[in-house]
Order: sequence, then C-alpha cells, then structure tokens
Amino acid sequence: MTAETLRAAAAQPTNLRYGKGLRKLITPVAIAIVLAALYVWVGTLQLDSIEQRSLNSAVIIQKAIEHLRLTVVATALVVVIAIPLGVVASRAKNRLITPFILGTANLGQAVPAIGLLVLCTFVMGVGFQTALVGLVAYAVLPVLRNTMVGVQQVDPALIEAARGMGMTKGQVLRRVELKLAVPAILAGLRTSLVLTVGMATMGAFVAAGGFGELIINGLKLQRMPVTIVGGVLTASIAFLVDWLGGLAEDLLKPRGM
Amino acid sequence: MFETDTGGAQIQLRALTKQFPGQAEPAVDSVDLDIPAGELVAFVGPSGCGKTTTMKMINRLVEPTSGEIRIGGEDVLALPPDELRRHIGYVIQQIGLFPHLTIGENVGLVPKLLGWDRPKAEARTEDLLALVNLEPGEYRDRYPRQLSGGQQQRVGVARALAADPPVMLMDEPFGATDPITREHLQNEFLKLQKDLRKTIIFVTHDFEEAIKLGDRIAVLRNQSHIAQYDTPANILANPADDYVASFIGADATLKRLALMTVDEVPTEGPPDPALPQVETGTSLREALDLMVANGTDRCSSPAGVLSYTALCASIGREEVAAGDR
Ligand SMILES: Nc1ncnc2c1ncn2[C@@H]1O[C@H](COP(=O)(O)OP(=O)(O)OP(=O)(O)O)[C@@H](O)[C@H]1O
Ligand SMILES: [Mg+2]
Repeated sequence: MTAETLRAAAAQPTNLRYGKGLRKLITPVAIAIVLAALYVWVGTLQLDSIEQRSLNSAVIIQKAIEHLRLTVVATALVVVIAIPLGVVASRAKNRLITPFILGTANLGQAVPAIGLLVLCTFVMGVGFQTALVGLVAYAVLPVLRNTMVGVQQVDPALIEAARGMGMTKGQVLRRVELKLAVPAILAGLRTSLVLTVGMATMGAFVAAGGFGELIINGLKLQRMPVTIVGGVLTASIAFLVDWLGGLAEDLLKPRGM
Repeated sequence: MFETDTGGAQIQLRALTKQFPGQAEPAVDSVDLDIPAGELVAFVGPSGCGKTTTMKMINRLVEPTSGEIRIGGEDVLALPPDELRRHIGYVIQQIGLFPHLTIGENVGLVPKLLGWDRPKAEARTEDLLALVNLEPGEYRDRYPRQLSGGQQQRVGVARALAADPPVMLMDEPFGATDPITREHLQNEFLKLQKDLRKTIIFVTHDFEEAIKLGDRIAVLRNQSHIAQYDTPANILANPADDYVASFIGADATLKRLALMTVDEVPTEGPPDPALPQVETGTSLREALDLMVANGTDRCSSPAGVLSYTALCASIGREEVAAGDR
C-alpha cells in the first residue's frame, strides 16, 4: 500500500510533465498542418504566368531568407540597444531622463509604421538598412520596458545583501539584478520578435524584400493567391517565433525561481 | 585585513553621527562605543531608534556624516568599501538568499569574490553547511525556496561566516521564525560563537534574546543614544534608569536567576537524596521552579544541598529573604 501511494505520488508530476510537453507540440503541429493545407491548395490552382513568377520555391525561399534576416538582425539590434537603455532607465538616480527614454521608445511604436518608414526613406533612401531602422524603432519598447521593470522589481533586500557582502555595483547588476530580470526580459523579447516578424512585411515598401513583397504584389496585380501565400507564411513565422520564444523562456530562466 | 588575537577584532565607534538629508534631527547622534574583540554585543531599542543605521555605518552601507570607526585599530573610513565589506559578515533581517543560486553558491559567494580557488571555496562551503547543521550532501544543490524559514536563516549565517570575517553584523537574524525554531537557532548559535569568538553586533527587539546571547547589551534610546551598556547581569541588577527598567520588564529577578546556575551558589552539607534533585549547570530559575513545585525551600545538586536563602543571597537579596522567614 505504501509502495502504491509512493508510485502514485511519483506518477503525478510525470503526467503533468507529459501534459505540458504535449501542449508544447500543439503550435508546431498546427503550423505544419496549415502550411501543408496551403501547399495542397496552391497545387489545385491553375496559376497564370504572373502568379507562377511569385509562387515558386526559389522565390519563396529567397523571400523567407530576406524576411528572417530582417527579423533576426533587427532583434539583435533591439537587444543591444534596449537592455542597456532599460538598465539606465531603471536607476533611481536617472529618474530625470527616464521619462525621456521611455517617451522616445513609445514614439517609435506610436508613430504609424508606414510614416516611420517614409521618414527613414527621406533620410537614408530605400533598402535593407532603412527597413532595419524602422523595425528597431518599432520593436525597442517591449524589451526596454520589461528590462526596466524586471530590474526595478528585484527585492531591495537582495541588493542590500549583495552590496553588504562586498559585491561592486557592476557585480550586483550582472550577477543579481539582470539574472533575476531574465524572465521579464525574455518575455519582452518574445513580444518584440513577434512584432518584428509582422512589421518586416513593411520592408517591401522600402525594397528590402521579405514576404511583404508577395502580399503587395498580389494586391497590386490582383492575384489573390500570391497575397494569401505571403500572409499565411508571415503568420506562420510569427507563430513559430512565438513558440520558440516560449521554449527559450523555459530554458533560460534561472533555475530555482 | 584586520589584526586579531582571537577570532574577532575590536570595534571602536567615536562620535559616530548620521544625518540623513532633509531630516530635522540626525538618525544617529554622536555614538561612542567600544566592543572588545570576541564579544557579542546586543543592540536593543525601540523601532526607529537607529540600530540598523548604526550597524550599517560599520560596513559603510550607510556613509557616516561624521565620526570615526576603527576595527582592530584600523580606520574603516579609509578602506575601500567593497573590499571592507568582504571582511565583515552581514546577516540581514530578510535573510536575502539569492533565489537563482543554490545554497552552495550562496554560501560560496564571498570566497569567490575574494578570489579563492575552487576546491578551497567548495571545501569551505561544505564545512560551513555542516557547522550550521545542514547536511552538505543534501542541501548544497538545493535552491533557497526549497528550504524552510529556519533552514534559510542558518544558510544566511553560514554565508556571513564564509570568509571567516573577524566581525559580524547581524540585524535581527532570527526575527522571522517561530519561538521554538528561534530558541533552537539561538542555542546552536551560542555553541558556535563559543568556538569562533567573533566580534558580533546583534540587533534584536527581544530583550530575552539579548540576555541569552549577549556578552554585553547596549540599550539604545532615540538617535542611538546609549542608555546603558553593560553585561546582562549588571543591567538586570542595576538598570541605569526607568527607561532601561521598562525594557527589562517586571520579572528582572527571575531573568537574573535564569542567567546563573546552581554551581554559583554555596551549598550546605552533602547531597541529600531525599530532596528534589537538580543537575550541575541547571539555572537557578529552574531550581527555584522545582522548589516551588515541590513545596520545599531546599533542593539537592551533586555538589550539595541548595537552600532558598542561599539562592536569594547569591543575587544580593538576603535581607528580603531573611524578612520573609
Ligand atoms: N535611507 C534613509 N533615508 C532617510 N532616513 C532614514 C534612512 N534609513 C533610516 N532612516 C531614518 O533613520 C531613523 C533610524 O532608522 P533605523 O532603520 O536605523 O532604525 P532601527 O532602530 O533599525 O528600527 P527598527 O527596529 O524598526 O529596524 C528612522 O527615523 C528612519 O526613518
Ligand atoms: Mg532596523
């Protein structure tokens, strides 16, 4: 009886873990089904020459690469810019410039995306870099705000303990504050990534490629299948990225929390 | 860093003052205090009287406005603060274990900051966990949230001891525990300090705790003004004024009896097996309890017979006892 009770107790967490593991598989499976359905559906269509020029594997792979490259580079820049700014904004002694930092980041997101890109085009012309500037301006806010909040919400007692044992301010920041803010920062990063994937479609307006090109060409030339393929692929990437972000959060968040 | 003869170093405070900006009066006003090496001094006083501020000036988490601090004769205000703090153990009331680090990593932090090599730091961590009665094999790789409150406080003490600092600052270290755990922790800590002989400042709200742990007690009024600074026995016997007496409470004599053992009282004649028996090391308070419970005025210890009169005489109350008879 004791052995049975023990086994039952041991089985429970395992079941829970399986349940969680299964739930984690739902997103990629759903994406795979949608993509397969899209493939089958496009296969049933009689594509004219204009559609064929867009809907072939060479073009789609190229657009995917362009789209992902924009997303990845923009996100890397967001990390490099937003985390240090978030730390600066979190410091009590900087409270005079904090509203300025947050205000600027807010502006990046509040200004209509197209308007932002057009402004950038005036200054920099069209191309990859222009799209990058627009994307970064748009996606900085979530990471910045979450870094700031994540660092601010660290228990002051922990900081006092850390200082009291002789850590320098830099050591407290790296070993305690940022470590404990990791879950918040990752959550912000996940939001930023999803925003960026969507926003990267606008890259088409400044000749930076990506799935946006399929969507816009489809609309311009009145070829619905092209637009639909561009849209579905973009959405699939957004879901995939969100799913990967979730995995990363589980993997990277400090153990013991 | 500091010169020491025992495990501890002498602490001297001279005219130590802290004026927080924007406040009418200093939080700590011109404190003078000498703490001999290897002694535990308990700071007792009402909330907001400046206990924590006084303590934090010693490790410079609060920079003094004026005055002098010396540890082992060395001028603390001339030392680099971060380096200084690595040589002063610090236990905060909220315990403050790092939730993202294991128990072993928490304890090994200061040795790591001091640049000890890995095997040395790990060996030290094991020793310390064993010292505070936590089996290293079982607890080293756990995270703080997997420990009970009392266990966490032990880890807090172990962490503060890690680099073998001559001075320890402890701010209500056993504050957040139930009375039973607390007494257990106090007893363990007393045993530990007997061997270590660190110089310790121990803040507490609990006068009983101060009596039990302190070699000396500093009773503080507002702004850390020292109302009385003496051994527990002397404070109980001769409170400097009504303020100090109010801290002691109504049962000062019983508290004094608790501080003394039957071995300190002269006996009358050989042990008598017919009387209630006490062992060596029993407190006079327990001996008195036994007499009252048995309705006698005598009990017997291995050294001989102990009378109520002798017990009263030993705490300087012979006239009263004689008058009672
Ligand atoms: N950082 C600070 N800034 C301004 N005033 C402070 C600061 N820290 C403490 N004080 C003030 O200094 C006085 C002494 O505070 P302190 O924390 O030393 O009291 P305490 O004796 O430790 O009290 P408690 O028993 O409640 O912990 C209080 O009036 C408090 O408001
Ligand atoms: Mg305090």
